[in-house]
Amino acid sequence: MGILEHKFEENILTTKVDWLLNWSKCNSIWPLTFGLACCAIEMMAVGGSHHDLDRFGAGAFRATPRQADLMIVAGTVNFKMAERVKRLYDQMPGRKYVMAMGACATGGGPYYKYGYSVVKGVDRVVPVDVYIAGCPPRPEALLEGLMALQRQIRASEVIRKPATPA
Amino acid sequence: MNFQGIYDHLEAKDAPGLVGTEEPRPKDPEDKKDKGRFGDACVIVEAAQLPEFLELCRDDEALAFEVLADLCGVDPGKDDEENFWVVIQLLSVAQRHRFMIKTKVPKARPELPTSSTVYRAAQWHEREAGEMYGIVFTGHPDPRNILLPDDWEGFPLRKDYEFPKEYHGISCE
Repeated sequence: MGILEHKFEENILTTKVDWLLNWSKCNSIWPLTFGLACCAIEMMAVGGSHHDLDRFGAGAFRATPRQADLMIVAGTVNFKMAERVKRLYDQMPGRKYVMAMGACATGGGPYYKYGYSVVKGVDRVVPVDVYIAGCPPRPEALLEGLMALQRQIRASEVIRKPATPA
Repeated sequence: MNFQGIYDHLEAKDAPGLVGTEEPRPKDPEDKKDKGRFGDACVIVEAAQLPEFLELCRDDEALAFEVLADLCGVDPGKDDEENFWVVIQLLSVAQRHRFMIKTKVPKARPELPTSSTVYRAAQWHEREAGEMYGIVFTGHPDPRNILLPDDWEGFPLRKDYEFPKEYHGISCE
């Protein structure tokens, strides 16, 4: 632990279960290896050494949905693919998140008007937590989206029931 | 060989189904509605005899078109209300020349024999032209859709195509 080593006596730490779970969760978001179009190239750049997604604990791209927490929908979703996207989402274990990366996944993008085969936003198929603007978004934008997701996770409560609106 | 050389050679060989040529020309300044014709020169071939024509192009030593570089459908819209076009690009690596072939199939009954018996590369191209324009290539060994889902309705690249309202419960609006 570097500078903290031997500074303290043997000790106990008190915290909230919510805080502990959220802290561990938001620093180990494992994304699904999943790219649909050119946005995936930017996503790979984020995974590389320059931008280094691993700083956020989110660089462990899993090749199976059963080990993944986050689905980054990076690219154009067409109707043929939408059913596969839904199936992959259904196979992910609980407390899962979806990030719509780029204009296509957010709302159809440049294919909105004449793209007969393009789903006009992946949120018509799976629930989306974070939308990232751009075509494609710069790597910094994806990192910003990831930090937005981390803020969401930190604010969430696992133990208590969420207050239902009257 | 240039285009004229290839055309003359095909004519001398009495190529099956050869109808004529279409060559680029500038706009007619007198006629305001005339748009001219852009692009490369091509030959027009009778649809029913297309495989025999391609066989000659492939096997003739002076032409030696070993590669079918492209085969695509066209809905020409106002340029030709009656027909769909099937446009084929041939390439000869040995002779270093290219060649464009155009066939016309009536919209009422868009059918022509498959070219995949001559060039196997044509199989996937024909599947695409089939699903996008509804052109039927008779004798094709595997005429399934190649890009669209199997249960897709309509032919998306036709000019009169209407977009679906929903697909498998996903709204398209």
